[in-house]
Parts: sequence; structure tokens; C-alpha cells
Amino acid sequence: MSDIVFSGVRKAFGSAIALHGLDLTIRSGEFVSLLGPSGCGKTTTLRMLAGLEFPTQGTISIGSRVVNDVPPGKRDIAMVFQSYALYPHMSVAENIAYPLKKRGMPRAERETRVKAAAETLQLGALLQRKPRQLSGGQQQRVALGRALVRDPVAFLLDEPLSNLDAKLRAHMRAELIELHRSLGKTFVYVTHDQLEAMTMSDRIAVMNEGVLQQFATPKEVYEAPANTFVATFIGSPSMNMFEGALADGVFSHPALRVPVTPEASGHGSRLLLGVRPEDMTLGAGPLNGTIRVVEPSGHETIVLLDFAGTTVTVRAPPDMPLGIGSVLACDVKSSRLHLFDAVSGLRIAARFGAALPPA
Amino acid sequence: MKMVRRVAFNLFAWSVVGLVAFPLIWMVITSVKPQFELFRIPPTFLPETVTFEHYWTLIYDTPFLKYMRNSLLIAFGTTLVVIVVATLGAHSLVRFRYPGRERLAQLVLFTYLLPSVVLVLPLYLLMVWVGIANSLFSLVVAYTTFALPYALWLLRSFMQGIPDDLEAAALVDGATRMEAFIDVILPQALPGIISTSLFTFILAWNEYLFALVLVNTDEARPLTTGVMNMLISSFNIEWSLLMAASVMMSLPLVIIFAFLSSYLTRGFGAGGVKG
Amino acid sequence: MATNPLDRRYALLGAVLIAPTILIFSAVIIYPLVSAIYLSLFTIFTPTLRGQWVGLGNYAELMASNEFWRSLANTFIWTVFTLTLQIVLGIAVALMLHQNMVFRSLARSLILFPYFVSTVVAVLVWRWLFNDLYGILNYLALISGLLQRPLDWLGSMPNAMISIVLVGAWKYFPFVVIAVLARLQSIPDQLYEAAKMDGAGPIARFFDVTLPQLKEVLVVVILLRAIWDFKEFDLIYLLTGGGPVISTQTLPLMVYKEAFGLNDMGRASAIAVSMMLVMLVFMVLYLRSAGRSEREGAR
Repeated sequence: MSDIVFSGVRKAFGSAIALHGLDLTIRSGEFVSLLGPSGCGKTTTLRMLAGLEFPTQGTISIGSRVVNDVPPGKRDIAMVFQSYALYPHMSVAENIAYPLKKRGMPRAERETRVKAAAETLQLGALLQRKPRQLSGGQQQRVALGRALVRDPVAFLLDEPLSNLDAKLRAHMRAELIELHRSLGKTFVYVTHDQLEAMTMSDRIAVMNEGVLQQFATPKEVYEAPANTFVATFIGSPSMNMFEGALADGVFSHPALRVPVTPEASGHGSRLLLGVRPEDMTLGAGPLNGTIRVVEPSGHETIVLLDFAGTTVTVRAPPDMPLGIGSVLACDVKSSRLHLFDAVSGLRIAARFGAALPPA
Repeated sequence: MKMVRRVAFNLFAWSVVGLVAFPLIWMVITSVKPQFELFRIPPTFLPETVTFEHYWTLIYDTPFLKYMRNSLLIAFGTTLVVIVVATLGAHSLVRFRYPGRERLAQLVLFTYLLPSVVLVLPLYLLMVWVGIANSLFSLVVAYTTFALPYALWLLRSFMQGIPDDLEAAALVDGATRMEAFIDVILPQALPGIISTSLFTFILAWNEYLFALVLVNTDEARPLTTGVMNMLISSFNIEWSLLMAASVMMSLPLVIIFAFLSSYLTRGFGAGGVKG
Repeated sequence: MATNPLDRRYALLGAVLIAPTILIFSAVIIYPLVSAIYLSLFTIFTPTLRGQWVGLGNYAELMASNEFWRSLANTFIWTVFTLTLQIVLGIAVALMLHQNMVFRSLARSLILFPYFVSTVVAVLVWRWLFNDLYGILNYLALISGLLQRPLDWLGSMPNAMISIVLVGAWKYFPFVVIAVLARLQSIPDQLYEAAKMDGAGPIARFFDVTLPQLKEVLVVVILLRAIWDFKEFDLIYLLTGGGPVISTQTLPLMVYKEAFGLNDMGRASAIAVSMMLVMLVFMVLYLRSAGRSEREGAR
């Protein structure tokens, strides 16, 4: 089939390194998101796959073909740009027909294909308009139309929803999922928005500073983050980290203790215990935090607590009485804790017991 | 009160505009006065008799039309050569990566500011040596010395305004780089190209120094030096005739101003203008 | 450098596209520039183009020549005065055109026209205006009582210098107008409203809000105009020819006179090269100080 394979791909712009040796296999028909903060190398990765940038080292292949020196137009991929990149001087119909024209498709067939694509995306009434006469959402559809009209093996999407307003974005997300299902083609989707990545992808490639951090399903990325970067990047508000040491099977922090059984050795003595805000229960328990900030948002309240110098974010029900400065008793769900090496940041697989009060 | 201030401001502003435009208005008025009326004291402001005799004299009794033909050929020739070369060059400077590209862009800026008077002597020797001195072609070549850096600089800033994504999209859609240039970049750059062409044309049309040094035959002389010659060579200066010549010389400008002035202001915005 | 074959192919295409430019540049700019420096080391009789090596002799003669220093001084006088007038007039008229006035676009076209009109046309018109017997300027000055007798505008000093400075300002100030006007239109209104709330009057607003916002564009405009005024040939040559005698002779005019009046191309080249050096020095000094004040402004 037509898997997309990056092997040992490195990219440097002069002395600045954008990508340090990327190995990644995207299976045919998969919806994969490249997720990370700006400057993490995700767009460079996508542009190299499109043939708009060239790897400094390593190979990229689509199917059985190494495409390193194949021009973008011959890679059988389509791309949707963040700016949509619609040709301003061409009508909607001409925009969508352009890739077909460049492939030498006869006019009559071109017109049928454009009509069909316009039908799918409900653009029928707009075909004679110029891009500047369209709304942002409509331009987005035209860009999609231009991509799907040629029936490529893979669709590359570079932050396609980031210029839309929140409501339209949610709507387009659903539509993209639907489109992916009905086309059955590979989608490679670049985004910095974890919500988009989590809701749409089969697998997410989390990247940071030119290094692939984790490549796994959304569930896995959320439940078993490979390192502290992934752990804190995914999830909002971020995962809380308690720094402490392991002694006699108990992880100790000045504000809490948790019995821990690591499944492997070889980690350092300084460890981080990670707890997501939603995995803390409030009102009772062995831990005591001082309330510092209260941010009500209607359906819930975000509370910042101080645990012996460590600031911890928790979610509270909207009707809970919360006085700033008062002490709140809490507990952690021991089945949903995470352990990391404080130096390398890597995840340590472990089993946890119920939390104990501080010594 | 507000109304009064508005009227006062408008009166003031328009008298300033009138003052600035006065020499040109006076040029038009003088050109349609009969010669004897010029020497009246006190001078008449509006002509008592309007006559176009000077324009006819200019056309039938002087080499004016020949000069005009030369000027048109030189200006169009220069514009054509410079725009073709500069459009390709600017596209290369903006969208391609190769060693020395930045240096080259700086060099363009430097030559854009180079005094013509430094280049004119060696160019004169070069033309004599190659054997094209005293021809229309020699002036086209000489005019590229200031028109090409200028056009490159202007087109470069126009093209920098075209998003990179457009070319990328065309490439992904199956165009080669040259096809992307023709299908996508050129149509986008067209307003910039028009505006640069206008400026180049005007620069070439108005040039004086090179024409003075490189050409001394009526066969190749453009309007600038030609008309100046009419002033210097005539025993008594016929001012109405010269003013008529000035008006005719400014016609292309009037046309550009009337129909294409938005392109002129656009060009100013993009890269400043050569003086 | 480019290891990818496609990348290399693109770089090659880029090189092909820029090649005509480089070719033309080398032939008509770089070669003449180098050649000008080379020529300046000879004494060359223009009609025969026979030359004799004199090394730096031309430069030594120039340093000792009063005419060279006088011309250099004239160049500075002309540049400083006409540039100052251009800037002041340019800002004033731009502020005026920025206001609401009737037929603003027509007014803008009329203001712009002198800039685009050929110098030859401008000079012919002004010489007619300056005409000592029948010129309208003398007539108006006489009847309004400004002058007691007709003035020789171009044939005596300091009138000739004043006249070329005025005509230069008239011809070139529109450049400043357009550049400043474009910048004015992009100054956000909030700045003025904030200043108004702080109690600033119109004059204070100009100095505290407008001028700082214009600074950047003025730095560029002054640099460009200074260079172009410094090397101006047409306007001065056609108005006064450098006269009376050499009172308004600037360096570009001296180059022309040496080459085609006194028939020494070598010496003319030496003047041209010296002039370029002077320009370069001032450009560097100017950019340095502009850069420094920019940095101080940022602090």
C-alpha cells in the first residue's frame, strides 16, 4: 500500500536545526496529527513531505517510492495551507480545476470533477466567484476542494482551521472527520491545537524542538505520556508535577507520600509524580492544600492550590465553597498517577498505592 | 464657525496647490499665445488670442517629430528590456535560494544610488569602442544602468508582498517552478509590473545626461537634448515655441496621470522613487 | 551546498533567471565603474582618446585645485539648502493634503506633477519665468513693490544659487510629500485621541505624535534625496551651466566640463571618483548616526 515513511530525516536551515533525525511511519489511510508548539518542526516535516523543503539527511518515501528528489507535483499528494493559498486571480472553479489542468486532463472531464467536488463541499453556488468575495469558511472549503478533486494518496493539512472562528472550527472538525472516513485516504494534519489532534486523529505525533516525543493513539498519549513534555503539553489545564524522591517504596514530597512499585529500575533518584487536575478529588483525603486562586468558569471552577511550595491546579464543582487562604483536603486517584525521571523526563512505568499524609 | 474654517482652509490649500502648479499652467498659457503677445508690458495673464500656430510650427518646421519618435523608441525599448530582465531577476532574488543572493540584493541597492556621471565617461568609451555610439541602441543600453537597478529594487519589493504559499500551492498542484511563475506569480505581480513599467518609461523619457554625452546626431537625439538644442541654437529665443514643445513633451505624463495614477502612488509605496 | 538534486535544480534555475541581470550589470555598471577608477589614473585627450599614465597625479592636482574645492563647496551648499527646503515643504504640504480638502486627488496630482515632468521642461519653464525683461516673476515683483528694478535671477550671485535651490525644491519636494503622506495615513487615530485627552494642542500633537512617527520614513527620504541632490546634473547644468563663471558649478558639472569642455577624460574621471567617495563617506556617517539615534529612541 502507500505508507509514508520518514527514516532518519534531518533538516537544517544553515546552522539552525529544525529536525533531528525523524523516524516515522504513517500507515495508508490513517489520520495522523503532527502536534507541537510553534517551532517544533511539525510544519517543516509536512513541507518536506510535500516536497517544498528538502531533507538535509535521510529519506522520505511514499509507498515504495523514495520521493526525496521528486517534485511536489509528482508526489501524488494534495495540500491545504493555513492561509488557504487560493489563487486570487482565478475563480473558485478555476482554482479547483487548476491541479487537474496541470495534469493535462481534458476540459470536459475537468468540469465534471470540479462539479462533483463542489457538490461534496456545498460550493455549487460559488463556482464563479473570486476568492476575495468569499468568507473565511468558504475559502477553507475551496482549498479543500482543490485538494480532493484530484484524488491523491494523501492529504496534507497545515493548520487548516486556525484562521476560523471557534464555532466554525468545531463544525469543520466534524466535517473533516467525516471526509476522512468517506475518502479512506491518508490525512497528515499539522496543528498546535491539542483538541483538534485529540478529536480527529488515529494517531498523534507529538513533537518538540525538532524531536519526535511520542507517536501513539490519542488515548495512549493522554493516559501514558512518554515524557514530561508530552504529559504537560497534552491536557488543559496541564498535568501537575510533584518533585520528590523514592525511598523504601514510597515517593515523598513535602505535601504528600505515595507508595510506588516501579516496574523497571535504572532511573535516577529524583522523580516527578504527575497528577492531572481532573484526577484529584476534593473535600476529603490525606493531603492539604491552601487555596491561592479561584477561577470560576460556570460549569466548573479551576482552583490553584499551594502544596508546600508546589502550585497545583484542580477542577472543582461550580457550587463548592472556596475561600482564598483556607485549607482544602484532597486525595489523588492512585490508578491514574504518572511517574517520570526528573532528569531525563522519561516515563517510568509503575504501580501506585493510595496516597498517605506527609511525614 | 466650523464652516468658515473649512472654507478658509480650502482656500489656503488650493492657493498653495495653485502656486506649485503655476509654472506648469504658465507654460500652457504661453504656448497658445501669439509670439508678439509675450513681449507686452504689462503681460497678459490669459491670452487675448488663442493660437496653436506654435504647435504647427513645431511639427512642420522643426525636427520635433523626429525627436519624439526617437524618445518613444528609446523609452519603450528601455522599458521592455528592463522589465523583462528585472521581472525574471526579481523573481529569482525573492523565491530562489543560492549562494550570494543577499549580496546581490545589496549590490542592486548600491547601484541604484550610483551617480550617472561616474558611469557616463567609461560608457562613452565603451560605446565608441563597440561601435554603437550615436545610436538609439546606445541610449537604451546606457539607460539600463539606472533603470535596471531601479526596476529590480521596485519589483523585488512588490514580489516580496506575494505570499510564498501561493507558489507552494501551485507546485503541489502539479506546476513546475516556471509554470508556477507564469500561472500564479506573474498575474499577482502584474500591478507591480505595470507600475514599474510606468516609472521606467518616465525615467527613460526624461533622461538628459546620457543623451547629451552619447548622441550628437538628430537621427538618434531624443526630445530632452533635442528641445534644448532648439533653445541654444536659435538666435532669438521663441519662448512660445519652446513652451509648446514642453507641453508636447509632457503629454505622455499627462496621459499616465489621467488614467494610471493609482499605479504611480503604488510604486512610491513599494520602493521609493528615483530622482 | 545543496545536496538534494531537486534543490540543486531549483538553484540552477534561479541562477539562470538572474543571469541576464548579472550580465547587464557587469557590462554596463561594474565594468564602467572599475574602468572609471582606472581612467582616473591617466590623462586622456577626449577628441583622440589618447592617454598617458599619471598615477595619482590627477588626484594630487585636484587637491591643489581651488576650482575643485569651490565645486565641492557649491555641491554641499546646493544639497543642504535645496534638501532642507524639500523636506520642510514636503512635510507641510503632506500635512495639508492629509486634511479633508475638496478635490483632494486632483490637488495631489497637481502637486506631484513637477516631480515627474522632465527636468528639461522644468528648466525651460523656469527660465521663461525668470526672464529678465518679459518674465512674469520680475513683473509681479515690480508691481507688488518687492523689487525696484528687474532682477537678474540666473546671471549673478547670489541670485543664481538661490534660483537653482528654489527650482530644485519645487521639482523634488513632491517626493517627500508622497512618502510622508503614505506614512501619515498609517498613523493610528488612537494616538491623536490619547494625546488630545492628555491636553495636547495641535502644535504639541505635531511634535509629540506626528513627527516621531514620521522619523523612520524621513531617515530614508533624507538619505535618498541627499544622494540624488548631491549628484544632480541636469537641473543645474540647464539652468545656469554652473555660472556665473563657476559660482554654481557643482561636482557633476565639473566632471562634464573637464571631459568635454577641457577635453581631459582622465581628470574628469578623477573628479567623478572623488565625488563618489565623498558620497560614500557621508552615507556611512549618516547611516551610523541614524542607526544610533534609532537605538537611543528604542531605549
